[in-house]
Amino acid sequence: MGVEGPRVRIERCVSRGLSRVTAQALGPYQTAIVRIGFGAAWLLFLLREWPHRQELYGPDSPWSWGLARQLIDTNDAFTVLMWSSSDSWFQLVYLVAVAAAAAVLVGWHTRAATVLFMVGVLSLQNRSVFMGDGGDNIIHLMAMYLVFTRCAQVWSLDARRAKRADGDGGADGDGSGDGSGPVRTVGGTGGVVLWAVFGAVLLGSTVAGGFSLGWALFYWAMWAVHGLWWAVNRAAVRGGAAVREMRDVCDILANLAHNGVLLVIMIEVCLVYSTAGWFKIQGTRWQDGTAVYYPMNLDYFTPWPELSHLLAGNGLMIFLVTYGTVATQVAFPFTLLNRRAKNVLLTFMILEHLSIAVLLGLPFFSLAMIAADAVFLPTVFLVWLGRRTTALGGRARRLMPGGGPRSPEPAPEQPAEAPKVPASGPAWRS
Amino acid sequence: MEPAAHQAPGGEGMRGIAALSLPARIFVAISVAVVTVGIAFHVAMVFLQTAPDNTISKRHGELVDSYVYPEFERNWKLFAPNPLQQNVAVHARATVAKPDGDTETTGWINLTAMDGEAIHGNPAPSHTQQNELRRAWEFYVDNHDEKGKPLGLRGRLSEQYIKRIVMLRFGPELNGGSVERIQVRSVITPVAPPEWSDERADVKPRYAVQPWWQVTSADLPGGGK
Repeated sequence: MGVEGPRVRIERCVSRGLSRVTAQALGPYQTAIVRIGFGAAWLLFLLREWPHRQELYGPDSPWSWGLARQLIDTNDAFTVLMWSSSDSWFQLVYLVAVAAAAAVLVGWHTRAATVLFMVGVLSLQNRSVFMGDGGDNIIHLMAMYLVFTRCAQVWSLDARRAKRADGDGGADGDGSGDGSGPVRTVGGTGGVVLWAVFGAVLLGSTVAGGFSLGWALFYWAMWAVHGLWWAVNRAAVRGGAAVREMRDVCDILANLAHNGVLLVIMIEVCLVYSTAGWFKIQGTRWQDGTAVYYPMNLDYFTPWPELSHLLAGNGLMIFLVTYGTVATQVAFPFTLLNRRAKNVLLTFMILEHLSIAVLLGLPFFSLAMIAADAVFLPTVFLVWLGRRTTALGGRARRLMPGGGPRSPEPAPEQPAEAPKVPASGPAWRS
Repeated sequence: MEPAAHQAPGGEGMRGIAALSLPARIFVAISVAVVTVGIAFHVAMVFLQTAPDNTISKRHGELVDSYVYPEFERNWKLFAPNPLQQNVAVHARATVAKPDGDTETTGWINLTAMDGEAIHGNPAPSHTQQNELRRAWEFYVDNHDEKGKPLGLRGRLSEQYIKRIVMLRFGPELNGGSVERIQVRSVITPVAPPEWSDERADVKPRYAVQPWWQVTSADLPGGGK
């Protein structure tokens, strides 16, 4: 050992880390819950705004197509709604955004769906930037990050399809477009059709000059990568060692991108809280313990004035919530070093967002924030939640008329036994 | 997130880097480096955009802005450093031309109060009620000087936006006449300090009246393209 000691240890550490981030797409349950959360938040928002969609994003919104055109000329934000000022184009885009959100929620051809989801989110939000709030902002960011993740490894139609294909012998099945699993064909007929349709749409929009150079490169790269992954998987079923190795390298790259972006998502959530906390510490109202009193008296954020005034009337309560909020937000990133402390704070923040949803009338903002927080939920809890949901679903199905004692659906992706989480270890991994 | 959980979603196919050939290993190594640098850069940019102005963000402001805007921007400051401590209401009135040739000036109509009514008792208020007028007015105020003169393109855009919001809510006909000109004003009412504190503050509303604006067909619903 001697001089070699620390070097060897560092080398071993690096190689262990390297094999972790290349061999697996980490956090399958966490990324799945983030996917489901943001898919649901955006889907519910779009459905809720259905009667108001024209006023928000339509060509004749008060923030009219012409006004949006002039602003977007100065900042180059991406939105397909600027391609045409016709009403039918707007309606189509809105419907596609709804469909993409639903597809992301259930994990149907997820890799393609997340791209379309991002197009929908960016197009609508960038079309009318002044209609949004903090909730829209976090959905905007996460929509872009989700594109790079393998977020359908569990709790998705893709995962179910992959599992069934494995059950059939695997080789020629209708495998998951997302699976980091064994060699198999990817996406099946549906995937090929989707890919062809996307290719045609991309070609049309590129020729028509719909994309800036950067966005054109991005979408074409995405499209090429999806095609390559399908082809490589197909070839690897019967191919030689070289093809199999190529397939493995692709798999490694996908894991790498997933893990990198998962880290970015976690850092982004920490930044949201820590910067919010740091700014608050500088505010006199957060210092004198009255800050929370004021939103309770703002006309735009008091759907239940009686309830808000009840809370606002209690000085001790306001003080505790005010100080508690700042303490939680500033402390959150550091509690990630300790599993138990992290989970306590996470619970606290989720509860706070639930009360914001009701008290301030911001349900979609709160849902989006909770979906972002969910990236830090422990695997044991998520697995338990998944099992409860499946059980409830099964019971509901039996209660439905004609449900009968049908053979139950294969439970979506659960390990045979509850995984044992090591008592210690970095909290952010759990 | 222990190995067992990973194995479930499909782990058998993983062979790891150790089993790869040398060229493949070099390729993966380069990719790891690229991804690492990319993430570090991205996080640095996003951090500098959200953090308060500091030595580094001042020096590299242009780079940060060109990377972060428009898609990676993060901007919500509703409650920091201090929460909003005043209710901002937007009122509007109009002069209307009657069929008999007379013109008449209407009373002030509180548009914000209409939003408030829609939000009251509503578990999921629409963005049209909660954000539209509120954020349009912020946009307007940010891009006008104290005398109500527009500052640059954004100033002009915000003015037409406000006009279009007002006309959407008024409609082309008001009090039996067609709307010719409109005027808006803001009424800022500070939230009274809590009863349980010994703080006293002036809660008299402050008015800021904007100039009269001629209404054109571009300001009416249907004239937006």
